[in-house]
Amino acid sequence: MIETETFTQTKKTKGEIMSGRVIVITSGKGGVGKTTTNANIGTALAKAGKKVVMIDTDLGLRNLDLLLGLENRIVYTIVDVVEERCKLKQALVKDKKNPNLCLLAAAQTRDKSAVTQEQLKDICKKLQKDFDYVLVDCPAGIEQGFQNAVAGATEAIIVTTPEMSAVRDADRIIGLLESKEEIQSYKLLLNRVRPNLVKSNDMMSVDDVVEILSAELIGIIPEDTGIITSTNKGEPIVNDEKSLAGRAYHNVAKRIMGEEIPFMNLEEETSVVAKVKKFFSGLVGKEKK
Amino acid sequence: MKDIFTDLYNKVLGFFKQAEIEENAKEVACNRLRVVLMQDRTNINPALMEKMRKELVELLSKYVEMDKEALELNLEQDGEQMALMLSIPVIRAKDEDEIADCESAEEDIKDSDDVIGEREAEEVEATEDNEEREETSEEAPEEDEKCICSEVECFCIDEKSDKCECTEKEEICDCGKEDCKCGEKLSTVIQEKKQTGNK
Repeated sequence: MIETETFTQTKKTKGEIMSGRVIVITSGKGGVGKTTTNANIGTALAKAGKKVVMIDTDLGLRNLDLLLGLENRIVYTIVDVVEERCKLKQALVKDKKNPNLCLLAAAQTRDKSAVTQEQLKDICKKLQKDFDYVLVDCPAGIEQGFQNAVAGATEAIIVTTPEMSAVRDADRIIGLLESKEEIQSYKLLLNRVRPNLVKSNDMMSVDDVVEILSAELIGIIPEDTGIITSTNKGEPIVNDEKSLAGRAYHNVAKRIMGEEIPFMNLEEETSVVAKVKKFFSGLVGKEKK
Repeated sequence: MKDIFTDLYNKVLGFFKQAEIEENAKEVACNRLRVVLMQDRTNINPALMEKMRKELVELLSKYVEMDKEALELNLEQDGEQMALMLSIPVIRAKDEDEIADCESAEEDIKDSDDVIGEREAEEVEATEDNEEREETSEEAPEEDEKCICSEVECFCIDEKSDKCECTEKEEICDCGKEDCKCGEKLSTVIQEKKQTGNK
């Protein structure tokens, strides 16, 4: 279905069943942007023509449906699939805009023990056959919810922010992922970077975090107020081409697809804007920037 | 002239020191994180590090005279490799004679330790009198401790010194119970205590 694949994992030869990549998006700490990242990377990949399914494994605290604006369309959840009240395909909710994008929602009324590692593994395996990418949204913590989410995945994206607690938890997650044989590679996504604070030496820089965690980077997402409005509207920020965070997520998606995209220099990005502002404010004179 | 230079030197030093004190939030975060992550990863807690530090000071002061307070021992990540970094401000290196002195002093201590150890071991086996003395001196202050014989039938658990006479004889306990083995146990415990004491 896709002309040129850059990956060995998704490379499809004639007659062979398609085998998509299963990527778990995890962080350890809560509130660093796992679900936002999931929604945006998923949407960006789907926009690039890939078939994507997102699995929300945060049983009891589901939110991925909200970020995608699909909360009113959910009929069956992952627990219904596991308990055989419906077929797997019935439970997949198609995105409003992009038919390439599907969501397997979490049950809101059950807890993490409703699904086992084996069951999740099984679901991932089945979905792999029909989709290029299976993105697993992992709950916060390192307990059963995490173990479940990781069970079916072969790759991981660790979301963290340049804050001490988030970095520490990310380190813990890296340790746990390294002990899992199934996880072949993991990469770091640094979220909510605030270039101004980094510039004034009040916040850890991207280099600092990468050095401390000694992990490979897959993306840098700047703090963006647009995330709040996009969440409120139920529309991932990647749909907004002007947004800096949206562009950054697009870049992440491209890197996942194997393209070599240089990392945004956030300081420069902002300083260009600042320069333009300065220039105009200089022209206009007393006008506020 | 000299004063001017020292004044200037102090000023420059003061300037840099001030800069050091006002460490920015970013650096503080990085440094704290590095330390805490090393502890998380290795399970080496600060107390253990301190112990290592102390023992290293002890060992190294045989060869060099150093600023013991300023010695720094840190776990650091160097790429994939975990490294133990030791930074020692050396005041001066000791010369051969001093090192030799240190070594001979150490050997003396070792030798005397060995001699004492052997002698005491012999004493335990051979002389009863010594045994008694050792016993009372070691048993007396530990009143909370239960009698070592701790056999169910033995009275000494409750009223150690009064009824049970096992503290007076080495091999046979007089507490009147057949199963009591306090005599045996006592002697082994004392031996152990002596050994740990020597260490």
